[in-house]
Amino acid sequence: MTMTTPEPAAPEALLPENHERRLHPGSWLFVLLQNLRQFIVPLAVLLFAGGRRDDGYPWWLPMIGVGALVVVSVWQYLTFRYRIDDDRLIVRSGLLERSVRQIPYSRIHNVAIHQTLLHRLMGVAEVRLESAGGTKPEAQMRVLRMPEALALEQLIRDRGRADAAVAAPDGTPVAAPEGTTLLALSTWEVVKLGLISNRGLIVVAGAVALSFQVMPERAMGRLLVEYGREAFGYASGFATTWMAKGVVLMGVLATALVLIRAFSVLLSLLRYHGFRLQRQGRRLTVERGLLGRSRSSVPRRRIQAWTQQEGVLHRLFARRTLEIDTASARTSDGQGNANAQHGLDALAPIAPPDTCDAIVRDIALLPSWPPQHWQPLHPRAWQRLMLGDLFVTVGLCAALAWFFHWWGALGLLWLPWSMFVARRHAARAGYAVDDALVAVREGWWSRTWRFAELGKLQAVELRQSPLDRRFGMASVWLDTAGANPLTTPLRLRFLSLDDAERIHATLAHAIARRPLRW
Amino acid sequence: MTTIPISTSNVDDEHAPMTASEDHVSTPPPLPVEPAVPAPQVETDVWQPLPLRARTLATIATLIGTLIPLAIALGVGLIAADRQPLSFAIAGALLLVIPAWTVWIARRRWLRTRWRLDDDGFGVRRGHMWRSDTRVPGNRVQHLDVRRGPLERAFGLATLIVHTAGTRNSALSLSGLDFEEAERLRDTLAARAARDDDHDDA
Repeated sequence: MTMTTPEPAAPEALLPENHERRLHPGSWLFVLLQNLRQFIVPLAVLLFAGGRRDDGYPWWLPMIGVGALVVVSVWQYLTFRYRIDDDRLIVRSGLLERSVRQIPYSRIHNVAIHQTLLHRLMGVAEVRLESAGGTKPEAQMRVLRMPEALALEQLIRDRGRADAAVAAPDGTPVAAPEGTTLLALSTWEVVKLGLISNRGLIVVAGAVALSFQVMPERAMGRLLVEYGREAFGYASGFATTWMAKGVVLMGVLATALVLIRAFSVLLSLLRYHGFRLQRQGRRLTVERGLLGRSRSSVPRRRIQAWTQQEGVLHRLFARRTLEIDTASARTSDGQGNANAQHGLDALAPIAPPDTCDAIVRDIALLPSWPPQHWQPLHPRAWQRLMLGDLFVTVGLCAALAWFFHWWGALGLLWLPWSMFVARRHAARAGYAVDDALVAVREGWWSRTWRFAELGKLQAVELRQSPLDRRFGMASVWLDTAGANPLTTPLRLRFLSLDDAERIHATLAHAIARRPLRW
Repeated sequence: MTTIPISTSNVDDEHAPMTASEDHVSTPPPLPVEPAVPAPQVETDVWQPLPLRARTLATIATLIGTLIPLAIALGVGLIAADRQPLSFAIAGALLLVIPAWTVWIARRRWLRTRWRLDDDGFGVRRGHMWRSDTRVPGNRVQHLDVRRGPLERAFGLATLIVHTAGTRNSALSLSGLDFEEAERLRDTLAARAARDDDHDDA
């Protein structure tokens, strides 16, 4: 059972209207598993460390807790109903406090279908419906049969648009638009993605930390020290010179690097294997995953802002990353990366630059992307950029000179390099504003492009710091919904004051003429 | 939609805040550009200053905010130090100079803070050294708050907070507005947002 099966022809056949529906009968099992995952540590502690068997400790006591969880899960399954209405989904749920929630289809920003390995074995899936803002999904259905989940997704896709209901007055389902595949990643591409990304570092660090915690009696620490000593003893047996020691050190580093890359590749295979980006009518659908599959679908007009990234390693492979901001809930579940797991963060985790641009042109309705006329920054922008480096370098050199006397002044050699980088950056950076979009490009080593349609902008701000005043510069900050606080903000820095004021006034006026559609 | 702390002490207001806002929202949205709008004090297309009372309040608030921590710090320092006449003199000078400086900054900030309501929306200009000019278009307003602390109530002032759906600049707040003016601004902006919503859904 894969998710790449074609959609069922008529979702209405699977999901009759005005009829209360329940979850999959096996649903309670998944709720139980999820609850158990939160309680597993205390339970294990109770079971194994709570007391010894011989002093009559009632080992079955924790089992009562598990039993209670089973009862709660079954109860949750029994009380959860949903109903397909004409223009909304009605969800009734709650154990003691009952709640009835009505979710208009047109307000649903993201439909995420997620399958772990166990879900796939049983042919079921978890469905999450997200609307703008908030921290929790509007509705979370654990779990539906896979055809039902897909039918629900299609139903929301069809009814989410206002005109779809009008187009089919006699109840015949609107013919499902044929999906256009915009990007499909081969295994080799996913391996490249792993080679570029640094996620393996997190795994290695996490594994080391975990092994220190889990292994009893500091066995891990002892092991490391013993092996390290042995290895160093072995190495110093033949590596007596500085040169040889250096070689050994390099060898160790290289091994670590290879290990990290291997984990990165493994992780990206797990996450992005079988990645496919499709456009079906006005919705975008992304599916991915090796063991667990996930599929999420957003209407394209919900996209708030776009980011393209290109690091040094990306350039080595002639690839780029294309990401989007949507206004749907970011930190779902209270679990840190829940959204990263379910949501649609990257439209193209890795793709050739031309493909990225083509996707943008196709989805964002920005026929002119990339802009032909990147405007340059203020001519003295590089001096402004270098100023911070200058202060830091001079300070560090002063400290170095204190310890190493005149040798410390060698640190000043950093400055020409810094100047070179600042000049390159300033020469490459630029902005483009026209009647459709605002775009910024920045960076030289690792480059980013960030842009948004004018209709998605929320507020405009002109800023000028005292330093900016000295240089006759100003910056324009633009705010969009759903921006990730970690990504670069959409801001036009180091413009000449005249340009900044002109853009500020133009944009404030232009945004006010465009209705907010998000 | 709006939060208004209703004060019992401030009975000399012409109308109770709650009813005033309800009236405005339920009536057809007043267009701020038309001359017949019953809000003659909200002049459009002009950068409006904050009332003089706001400067007084800013002065008082800054004095309190600076003098108390400074006095405590200096007192502790003097007790710990050797109580030379020189250190007393330095402490006294600091006690004069620092509050004077912060008050000067606060009054200058008051002078440089201007707001404006025009066809495009609401704008606030601030600062001289760190200058900023924020514009929130009228159709991007999500909801509005008028807040008043005890000091602001005593001076008949209020803080207007304009929320948008954005991320970094999702709330533009302007304190030191005349209370009635803040309410009028809120009602005008809310009515405009409602009107734009109707257009949008059509």
